[in-house]
Amino acid sequence: MSTVSFKNSAFEVREDLVDAHKGAWECISTAGTWLTGERRVAVAAETRKARERVSCAEAREALSPGSVKISNTTLGVLTDAEVEVIHRVVCDPGRLSEPWAQSIIGMGLSEGEYVEIIGLISMVMILDTCTLGLGLYDLDLPEPKIGVPTQYVPPGVKKNAAWLPTIEPGDAVEEDGPMYPSPKAGYILRGLSAVPQTLRDYWAMANIHYTPGQFVYQFNRSIRAITRPQMELIAARVSALHQCAY
Amino acid sequence: MLRESSQIAGYKVQLSDVTSGLSDETHIPQGDLLVALSEAIVARDKDAIADARGILFQALGNDAVVDAVAVASAFHGFVRIADAIGIPYATAAQGGDAADVREEAGINEFYRITSSK
Repeated sequence: MSTVSFKNSAFEVREDLVDAHKGAWECISTAGTWLTGERRVAVAAETRKARERVSCAEAREALSPGSVKISNTTLGVLTDAEVEVIHRVVCDPGRLSEPWAQSIIGMGLSEGEYVEIIGLISMVMILDTCTLGLGLYDLDLPEPKIGVPTQYVPPGVKKNAAWLPTIEPGDAVEEDGPMYPSPKAGYILRGLSAVPQTLRDYWAMANIHYTPGQFVYQFNRSIRAITRPQMELIAARVSALHQCAY
Repeated sequence: MLRESSQIAGYKVQLSDVTSGLSDETHIPQGDLLVALSEAIVARDKDAIADARGILFQALGNDAVVDAVAVASAFHGFVRIADAIGIPYATAAQGGDAADVREEAGINEFYRITSSK
């Protein structure tokens, strides 16, 4: 059983950050919209495996993205398409393309499953990077909880400006649940909107690491212990090192 | 956002430092320490992280270390959502991420942009 604690860290960690980690691991272990708890924890495990593999570095250095073959060693818990998504997104996110994303959908992964998996990968990367940065080891993965995915399809989801379908703020309905902090929500906030629960789980955790949505465009203030330019310098350098153009 | 927040605070920033590494032309306080920690975290280099974290702690204290680590961590998720969902890069910062900024920062050399030309 996973227990979230920063007690072994040499640093005092603010309580909301500790709670965000607890909440995120709880979400990861619970059935989502398209994936069972077992598959979600398997995605988390594969995310860690991808990150540590020698082929992860090979993938980044290969002249052609995708030229490094990825074998599925999950013993049937995850499909080949899911394993491919996890390894490419973890190891070489800056060289993904729309044809590649469409090829994954063509391998039988639904768009909802794809989006939910991206949300899970991103959560695990944030959680594990934070513990690494604070000098801690990865937590043990949580035990998956028994439950049935909701298979909720938002009525307003459609192909918009991104490769995958999203919900424009004006197309969100009450049944989707809370989605956006404002009608002007940026595209990064809309990225996971095809699976509203994944969007909520992700941002509940990510906002505590960065800054809540209502403060993002207030460039003259910071609610953290470093100034906004200091935050954005970190953000820009980390993004650039990932070759992220966004 | 780096450009906007730095302009408001009155700090000079060399945007190309984002891609090429910090130079003397960027004047954000403790920028060198924050970038060193960020680079070590991305590289997952535990020794380098410990060194950079210790120096930052001496300079800014406990809470700044925690928040610097937290922000660096957050962008390990944001980049993957943006790049795997295929969010149009020109919409960053609600469209404020202008073409001239991308050019100046060296972002136009990234795969996502070169492969779409």
